[in-house]
Amino acid sequence: MSLADTLPSPRPSLRSAVLLAVALLAVSLSFLSRENPLVVFPRAWEVDLATPLGETMTFLARDFRIGPVQFSTVTRAIGWLISQPFELLAGVMAEGFSHYRIDAPTIYVPPLPWLGITSVFCLTAWWFGSVPLALWTGGCFFAFAVFGLWESAMLTLASVLIAVIVGSIGGIGLGILGYRSRRFNAALQPVYDILQTLPLFSYLVPMILFFGFGPVAALMATIVFALPPMARVTTEALRSLPRSVSEFGTIAGCSPFQLTWLVRIPAARQKLLLGVNQVIMLSLAVVIVASLIGAGGLGGDVLSALKSMRIGDAVAAGLAITLIAITIDRLSYAVAMQRREHGRADLPWHRRRAFGLSCTALVVASIAISPLAPAVHTWPEALTVSLGRYGNGVVQWIGTHFDAQISWLRDTALIVFLKPTKTFFLSVPWAGFVLVVATLGWILGGWRLALLGATVFLAIAVLGYWKKAMISLYLVALSVGSAMFIGTMLGVWAGLSNRAARVLIAVVDVLQTLPTFVYLIPVVMLFSIGDVPAFLAIVLYAIAPAIRYTCAGVRGVPQALIEGARMSGCDNRQLVTHVKIPLALPTILLGLNQVIMMAFGMLVITALVGSRGLEEVTLVAVARVAPGDGLLAGLAIAGMAIVCDRYVKALNRVIAYHLGLSVPR
Amino acid sequence: MEAQEKPSILECMDIWKVFGNNAQSLLSELGPNPDDNAFARHKLIAGVRGVSLKVRKGEIFVIMGLSGSGKSTLVRCMTGLHALTAGHMLIDGLDLAQLSDADLVHLRRRKISMVFQDFALLPHLTVLGNVAFPLRVQGIGRQAREDTALRMIELVGLKGRESYYPDELSGGQQQRVGIARSLTTQPDVWFLDEPFSALDPLIRRDMQTEFLRLQSMLTKTIVFITHDFDEAVRLADRMAVMKDGRIVQIGRPEDLILSPADEYIENFTRNIPKNKVLRVRSIMDARTAPNNDVALPAEACLCDVAERVITGKGHHPVVDAEGTVVGALHRSDLAQYLV
Ligand SMILES: Nc1ncnc2c1ncn2[C@@H]1O[C@H](COP(=O)(O)OP(=O)(O)OP(=O)(O)O)[C@@H](O)[C@H]1O
Ligand SMILES: [Mg+2]
Repeated sequence: MSLADTLPSPRPSLRSAVLLAVALLAVSLSFLSRENPLVVFPRAWEVDLATPLGETMTFLARDFRIGPVQFSTVTRAIGWLISQPFELLAGVMAEGFSHYRIDAPTIYVPPLPWLGITSVFCLTAWWFGSVPLALWTGGCFFAFAVFGLWESAMLTLASVLIAVIVGSIGGIGLGILGYRSRRFNAALQPVYDILQTLPLFSYLVPMILFFGFGPVAALMATIVFALPPMARVTTEALRSLPRSVSEFGTIAGCSPFQLTWLVRIPAARQKLLLGVNQVIMLSLAVVIVASLIGAGGLGGDVLSALKSMRIGDAVAAGLAITLIAITIDRLSYAVAMQRREHGRADLPWHRRRAFGLSCTALVVASIAISPLAPAVHTWPEALTVSLGRYGNGVVQWIGTHFDAQISWLRDTALIVFLKPTKTFFLSVPWAGFVLVVATLGWILGGWRLALLGATVFLAIAVLGYWKKAMISLYLVALSVGSAMFIGTMLGVWAGLSNRAARVLIAVVDVLQTLPTFVYLIPVVMLFSIGDVPAFLAIVLYAIAPAIRYTCAGVRGVPQALIEGARMSGCDNRQLVTHVKIPLALPTILLGLNQVIMMAFGMLVITALVGSRGLEEVTLVAVARVAPGDGLLAGLAIAGMAIVCDRYVKALNRVIAYHLGLSVPR
Repeated sequence: MEAQEKPSILECMDIWKVFGNNAQSLLSELGPNPDDNAFARHKLIAGVRGVSLKVRKGEIFVIMGLSGSGKSTLVRCMTGLHALTAGHMLIDGLDLAQLSDADLVHLRRRKISMVFQDFALLPHLTVLGNVAFPLRVQGIGRQAREDTALRMIELVGLKGRESYYPDELSGGQQQRVGIARSLTTQPDVWFLDEPFSALDPLIRRDMQTEFLRLQSMLTKTIVFITHDFDEAVRLADRMAVMKDGRIVQIGRPEDLILSPADEYIENFTRNIPKNKVLRVRSIMDARTAPNNDVALPAEACLCDVAERVITGKGHHPVVDAEGTVVGALHRSDLAQYLV
């Protein structure tokens, strides 16, 4: 089968005719006045779906009953179930337990000593990883204690732990079902797509409705967010197992249960653990944003500091989030990739259980010492360094000394880039926009793609979100453009020079570890709020894949082709422009796809620094507990993201086809 | 001859395995012997077409065929990994299709086992864990299963590496683990799907020798798959050659060499050193009376007796294991096989 018949492109003659017609139509549409219903979507055509949707959800949460069982009882039961392990862990790690009595003093059981927890984490890092990792981990935890962030950090860690455990178990379960039944898997894919692109804030409102304001709702949102990637990784990991492994299990006479749990899942262990690593990072990012609905922890610290413009405190807490992110990323990676030494089976049991025993010993020892040396238990107040206070000073100093430069930068960016693009997007007639989207889709991927694009944007118009959507889209388009421009240049440089690659890839590694929320802090610090900091945050966040993929693409050009080009007389420069970059194009486009997805992911969060598109609607919906609006606006963003994803993938196929390359995955 | 009296333990009765949607109903519509076009028209792929064969107790039965000829598919049908599209598969007289799930599991746990081309070792278990795994699945206690496993590990010569993980072993060692693992349950029938194909030629040779040594101790019924005609000839008591899902010829290696069914088989046999494969019995003249006294054993291979025959004069007597004369051999009978 040749590639030609897998590419659903229309015939060339038909294509030129349609293109011409569309161009003419689009041009003539742009001459219409703004009163014309084809330019600005008329109010009368809009449909208010948000109110009935909101009412339905409120009904679900309050009064819906299945037979004799109130639906809210069910959700409350689930919430209770999730909250039990969480409260236990939060108590052990951060808050301790209080038992109130009416006519006697309250019984208070303190949490574990900070030194105990720190040493357990260090030991884990050393056991599974290396000495440097252990030192790094110890340093980070020590910093949390010294800078007075201990309790928040431990609370965040506890939330992440619970979310990851529940999310991984659920995800593996769903993933196994998806592996067993192709039909089930196919049905789940679009649901996963939407869940993964739905803005965080849209998750939060229903969670508040069902579970009430507080850490449990935040945990549930996190779990729901972490489920799809884990389920996908699981299905994929099971599928990629050699067929013979399952066959061996069957021949050995495994029952279906044994086949899954004794053969397939353990054999896919390494890939699953890498999936868990992903889930950890995702949960961390979400747990922090979920502080909006009362999750507390480091995210809560940042948020309250931002609200009262104590930027220094926000930076300190943000730094702590960064440190936690890097630490648990490396730690979980080390655990996932651990090499087990052989010869353990013959060791006596205390040698085999050495790790668990030493951990217990460390904890017990720290508890035993803490009455004698209270500093082992709680870092003394007097020795706590408030980073925030210094930070606030530094920020103030920057503000007063570089005010002129910073405002100049902000104003130029606004006037030269942001404003004109925004005006353009807002002035485009909606009918023309939909027409062009549909035509593009048709050319790139046939009528199905065209239908998808047209439907999503028409729905946005009908729901009354057109203007907001254009504001979101302008911000995404501009930041994706900038991220791609800068990112590919850096990527090509990294592709050509080993030294550049080493530095840039290290930077990209860190950039990709940081939760979205962290990016907001420096940009707010410098540019306060508005579109400029939002734009910068998106570019910073989304640039990583542009660099990574370009570098990989340039380096991945087969040596034989390079030698061939050299033999036919290319000089170094021509080699780059004529051979390496064109051949890297499909890979770069794959990067573009990721850049767009990440830009949408960040866009959603930028509502916190005052961007004004659809994301703002979802954020406001959280504050007002308006589930209808929050969900619909969220779906609109998800829809746009999915359309972009499919269009870029189609474009990638077309380009790879014309270059005669196989489409990279 | 004498082997024929042994009862058969495996029996394939006109087995068909066709891949694709609605294969079963389409196959019955297409009539008894559909051709390639008919399959292509319905987007079906025929893996195994109308295979009938019997495997006797205690013999090494080799299925040989080039890549894609349907060997693995046939073995999967024989072990019940694939449901048949048509036909019947009997193990020990039981029709696999008629067995309940529980009976099938029981049969697999007790009667059959399999060795895989890519080893299919479980990466999370040590050598000991892997070899003991089939017993663990049966719910046998740790001590008992590890004792058995250790004996098997010793049998395949891996003693001392019990606590290694599969990725710490060489290919040959991994396949020894695979072999040990398939022997722990003491199965009656042993399936090996290209067990040595992934190994270097030298190691492959060692493993073949090792395999013959094991079989001389265990005498199991063996179905051995290979794409290598030399390997087939070396190991087989009887063998079947497959092409495009069908069996082209079944017989003892000597039968295939002496009377190939068609050109396809002849192509394989042409380069086989015949004097190493053929036995005196298969080329002797049973009707002529011997006229010298240098006796030749009937089961000896030609290369071992060649010198005696060539230097001797007249017709040598051929004697069987009991010492009775069963035929005669003249040096002119030998000439054509001494290439
Ligand atoms: N699950 C399947 N679905 C569709 N076609 C299959 C399937 N399994 C095997 N086939 C087809 O059946 C034919 C026989 O395949 P099989 O794996 O049995 O060959 P083989 O003789 O074992 O080859 P090899 O030596 O390469 O292992 C091939 O044409 C293959 O494409
Ligand atoms: Mg095969």
